[in-house]
Amino acid sequence: MSDSPVSMHNPGNDAPAEAPAAPDPAAQKQMEQAYAQMKRKMAMAEIGKKIKHKIMVLSGKGGVGKSTVSTGLALVLAQQGHKVGILDIDITGPNVPKMMGLDGRKLHVEGGRIHPAQGHLGVKVISMAFLLEDEDTPVVWRGPIKLGAIQQFIGDVEWGDLDYLIIDFPPGTSDEPLTVAQSLPDIDGMVIVTTPQEVALLDSRKSISFASSLKVPVLGVVENMSGYTIQGKGTPGSEIEIAAPAGRTLQATCDDEGHFSVTLDIFKEGGGRSTAEEFGVPFLGALPFDPGFVRGGDDGVHRIVSEPEGASASAFSHVVASIQSQLDGASSSSLEII
Amino acid sequence: MTGEPLELRRLERRDTDMELTYEDGTTFTISYDDLRHACPCAKCAPLRNEDETSMQLRRTIEAYPKQKPLVQTVGNYALSFEWESGCSSGIYRFERIWDLAHRRDPDRGRPYVHGAW
Repeated sequence: MSDSPVSMHNPGNDAPAEAPAAPDPAAQKQMEQAYAQMKRKMAMAEIGKKIKHKIMVLSGKGGVGKSTVSTGLALVLAQQGHKVGILDIDITGPNVPKMMGLDGRKLHVEGGRIHPAQGHLGVKVISMAFLLEDEDTPVVWRGPIKLGAIQQFIGDVEWGDLDYLIIDFPPGTSDEPLTVAQSLPDIDGMVIVTTPQEVALLDSRKSISFASSLKVPVLGVVENMSGYTIQGKGTPGSEIEIAAPAGRTLQATCDDEGHFSVTLDIFKEGGGRSTAEEFGVPFLGALPFDPGFVRGGDDGVHRIVSEPEGASASAFSHVVASIQSQLDGASSSSLEII
Repeated sequence: MTGEPLELRRLERRDTDMELTYEDGTTFTISYDDLRHACPCAKCAPLRNEDETSMQLRRTIEAYPKQKPLVQTVGNYALSFEWESGCSSGIYRFERIWDLAHRRDPDRGRPYVHGAW
């Protein structure tokens, strides 16, 4: 009998005493699947060695800007000269490729391995969006099929050597982050994205508890859409009054050249920091509400690429620095199994 | 001390049991039969709800050939054990291993309820 678990054919045996029984196609398929799964597991373990840092980006609630944060972190790290990849695990709503200027791209497959597309600043991207015939087609999959696709995205992708892999998830604490936390070895930690309003904070707390139950460190909380800064011009030295949310009135004084700026806390303020403090996890920083992200996302030119010195890029750099200081200080302890 | 689980540093697979060494240097052994009887999977766990089915599970496990399992970490939080025969589905959280090492009921007397992970 052949050693290969996927082949029942024995070419060395030219004259069998009896015609061999035809292999049961179901058993053959089962063996092939088991073999592919085993190979994938080995590949996943190997990937752990080739990628120095693996960071999960999660939020409990949708629409808080996870993909914006994921792509922003990746681009700032790439600006620093690191080799970076983004794994877009949001199977039913993948939008990282659009933000990275990779809309409409298809993946290159060679020798049974999937090669990521390269977006801005050479960031490697893998996303379900690359596999869709058209962007209006929904992916209607139940959990086990999603699980298989995620494992394939981890095990069958030729990432090469990376300094950082940023993993962008759909909202919530369901199959996707659980599968990744189980499949990918040595995850450095999770970044929890929130917006300042109470509903988002409530769900962020679930994400923090989820990380705790999986023993994945929480690198910290990022507060997105933290405040919108209005800038304008008036008479030098004059007082400006602006009607803010919740019936508040904000005041500013024009400088000598007549410039003023006021920050509106559209979704309240400080919620991300207080949630971080409540759970004893680091607060990584606040990102401003920046309409440029919407325009950049739609146009495929990321805000950090179009305005690398802007306020948003600067806020992202601060968040990245906070993450890096933790990664540098992390002690690696491993279990020896003999 | 049996309170908060310490970090597991070393796991040595022996013929019929495994020796665990924790971060403070203390060592414990867990027999493979005990380990397999405490399998947390949805197929094995309900069998421990009743004495009769629990004993039946125990007898089934003891009848398996004695073998070293393939041990793998599951993320940062658990271990999985792959056996040549019988159930290999269980994901054992480190807390569960800690309880078994201290000869405590890892189910803490709670009956298995499907879906209540």
